Amino acid sequence: MDLRTEVLIIGGGATGAGIARDLALRGIPSLLVEKGDFTSGASGRNQGLLHSGARYAVNDPEAARECITENRILRRIAPHCIEPTDGLFVSLPEDGPEYRANFIRACEAVGIDTLPLSPREALSMEPRLNPKIIGAVQVPDGAIDPFTLVVENARDAESRGARFLIHTEVTGLIRDGLRIAGVRVCDRITGEEYAIAATWVINATGAWANRILGLAGLKIGLALSKGSMLITNTRLSERVLNRCHPPASGDIIVPNDTVSILGTTSLRAEDMEHNEVTPEEVTFLVVELSRMIPDLKGERFTRAYAGVRPLLQSEETCDDREISRSFALIDHGSCDGIAGLVTITGGKLMTYRLMAEKTVDFLCERMGLHVPCSTHVQRLPGAGQGHTLKDRLARLRRQIPAARGEILCDCELVPREAVDAILREGKVRELQDILHRTRLAKGTCQGGFCVYRLLGLLNELRKEEKSGGSNVVLRGFLEERWKGIRPVLWGTSLKEEELIESIYKGLFNLAPEEPGRPGEGEA
Amino acid sequence: MKRFDLIVIGTGLAGLTAARTAVEMGAKVLITGRGMGALTLFGNTIDLLGEIPPETEMAEGIPRWIAAHPEHPYARTGWEGIESALADFRGLFPPPYSFAAEGKRNSLLPTGAGTMRPTYLIPATMAAGAAMTPVGTLIVGLRGFKDFQGDTVSLHLKCRGVTLSLPRYGLEGLTALALARLMDEASFRERLGEAIRRQMAGERFIGLPAVLGLRNPAVVLKTLEEITGARVFEIPMLPPSIPGTRVFHRFREELIAKGTIFLMGHPVSGANVKDGRCEGITVENPPLAAEYRADRYILATGRFLGGGLWAEMERIVEPLFRIPVFQPGGRGMWFGERFFDPEAHPIHRAGIVTDADLRPVDETGRVVLENVRAAGSILAHHQATEEKSREGIDIATGFLAAKRALAS
Repeated sequence: MDLRTEVLIIGGGATGAGIARDLALRGIPSLLVEKGDFTSGASGRNQGLLHSGARYAVNDPEAARECITENRILRRIAPHCIEPTDGLFVSLPEDGPEYRANFIRACEAVGIDTLPLSPREALSMEPRLNPKIIGAVQVPDGAIDPFTLVVENARDAESRGARFLIHTEVTGLIRDGLRIAGVRVCDRITGEEYAIAATWVINATGAWANRILGLAGLKIGLALSKGSMLITNTRLSERVLNRCHPPASGDIIVPNDTVSILGTTSLRAEDMEHNEVTPEEVTFLVVELSRMIPDLKGERFTRAYAGVRPLLQSEETCDDREISRSFALIDHGSCDGIAGLVTITGGKLMTYRLMAEKTVDFLCERMGLHVPCSTHVQRLPGAGQGHTLKDRLARLRRQIPAARGEILCDCELVPREAVDAILREGKVRELQDILHRTRLAKGTCQGGFCVYRLLGLLNELRKEEKSGGSNVVLRGFLEERWKGIRPVLWGTSLKEEELIESIYKGLFNLAPEEPGRPGEGEA
Repeated sequence: MKRFDLIVIGTGLAGLTAARTAVEMGAKVLITGRGMGALTLFGNTIDLLGEIPPETEMAEGIPRWIAAHPEHPYARTGWEGIESALADFRGLFPPPYSFAAEGKRNSLLPTGAGTMRPTYLIPATMAAGAAMTPVGTLIVGLRGFKDFQGDTVSLHLKCRGVTLSLPRYGLEGLTALALARLMDEASFRERLGEAIRRQMAGERFIGLPAVLGLRNPAVVLKTLEEITGARVFEIPMLPPSIPGTRVFHRFREELIAKGTIFLMGHPVSGANVKDGRCEGITVENPPLAAEYRADRYILATGRFLGGGLWAEMERIVEPLFRIPVFQPGGRGMWFGERFFDPEAHPIHRAGIVTDADLRPVDETGRVVLENVRAAGSILAHHQATEEKSREGIDIATGFLAAKRALAS
């Protein structure tokens, strides 16, 4: 199979999907390849925070301005991906009143609305806060669901002619003299290799940018920073809670649906793929955030995860790149003399749309097209749908008619019908794709029960025979799950883990795959 | 206030065994527990030591294994202790619903994941599973009952499978317990038997989820075998375990009949310890808290799931008596990097270390509580899940703890 397209986008994160949508809205054909599923990188491994920009107001007003502008746009175009919780910047005695005063002034200067609150007001809004706080400031932070956001961008682009290939990895860049004329790819599930010809190749791979550039012998100054986060079993607060002090590690709690996400750390990372959270990082986050919510230690943590942020290194000696301090658009034609290749990296989830806009503006200019961007006004396709918990429960009720009430996941109430619908669409290719698209395995037991049931369903449909049998898939799932669970195993989570281990290693006798172990009847 | 000869803390298989052993010896016993224990989650058959290959007789394999594992709880009971404890256990289950070992060796039984699993004493409702052959076996799943995925089992065992729909009964969303209760009804099991018979193509074995009745499993088995003309067996599945629940009920019935005080559902909130002896325990039953006293105590509160051990952020504690807990370093050392590490996770070796009499000792080997004994999975130096020794350890140490306690 050989394909061709006008613009080939590498990377199925927010930036890549945003570019695909922007191109589609301007009538330019594109094809996006992603080596995993959507949001496999930093887009799926962040705090889920809809920044107001307040966090940057003191140190980096330009980034703050970008954030508040995009914040307002996203509320308009993607209300179904956003929970408008608001956020508090909380001052502890050690943070002092001065920073707070600076903070309010800085927010005002960049146009972020602030509402100063007395300790009493803040405590009545968020009763779990440390009673010793000396004050708080309310800002328009919120929670955002990055996966839905990305999938919605892709869905909209697809309906306008864009194409998407997930589990498709770029293995080479095709050169035609001083031009990049396309890519070679490998289907990670079937192993099939083929070429895709393209006029432009956009490298939107975030932290993986240099891996793609390396295929052409290029490199940009990019540092990788690992940020670790923890998820609690319940929602700790109704609003985003930030420490009102200079940005530091372990100073934010974001409510997300029924849980809260605690973050973050910042460590230099060498490797994009293997970044398990260490017990030390977990201890650090719990201890540090206990200052804001004192009884945090007794909380039940369901999982820890880490994302890798691509950070641009200070000065790149190339004129075409300076668009914003927070992200970079690099035309390798003018920087390195290799035409047809553009890298867009750095930045953050909040600025994905802006990054896409700047990228497509650049392409239009080079193509001699004069079509303005409209992603800031065109709402995403699901924007009209209700998205509160109430709406979700109402949808659930419709999905479970009384006669066929099979609930696969008891923690998160995922009906069998939801999985059937995804399978009918025919786009998912492996177990993790299904887990991404539902709330299966997101609850208290982290899939301990529902994955057995899900595999039963796949077996019933004979979907797992090719991949070596469902117990191979099951083992793979349990190993993947382990990475997130292991760092938070103490207290109640450890109790749950004894249950899960007793099921899979005890009751089901699944063993490490070593030859000659008796009893495992899979041969 | 009534004073007991023995108070057993914990209503899992170890505690139940200890209480029954003591009652049989004529003691006045109180048993108290917060819930029904791991028995009703994972107890299907009686595992003794899955590591002993099915070719080897247990009487030969276990003594050799003990010699190589001198710290294991079985080293305290010895093979003789295991044997007498198991004989006692079997005495509680007369035919037709009895437990037996195939040729005094381990047998391999099919599981709900379609794997084979070694185990020792097998209840009558599972016995045919050890004899099944892929050709000639039909695996029956029930549409809407999600904790047993028949297609997974039949695919892996390479035998034929069907998923039956019994629309009249509205099985969707049913729990194992509700299904087991339905099986106790003659009309339901007869209808199920007929539905299976219509699907058969000459099979000699029929595998079903382990829900063949709570009260009369042997009757359910007989009905299904008569209607289908095949040998029927139950397959262990996701918790809760119906076969384990049967064992629990049988013990409770026997203990109550013999005059044991059975206190369930409330935690023991404190222990009154004086001069290295336990003088009494407090059972929380809000708004009341009652103190109970005995000459001797057996601690059979299980591991983390049962509440016998509790993991704080950096160390593992025994929450009731604060008995020292053997443990592998700090939190970073508790678990291996992979879920399926070739070695069991180090934390599984954690637990209470005892003297030969099952009395808890500290790091120096000194007995910490003169009249308290520990039994069951709370003990250190076993890996019940990997070894497949959970019920064996419970029965053997529960039995020994009661014998030793009453001899003191």
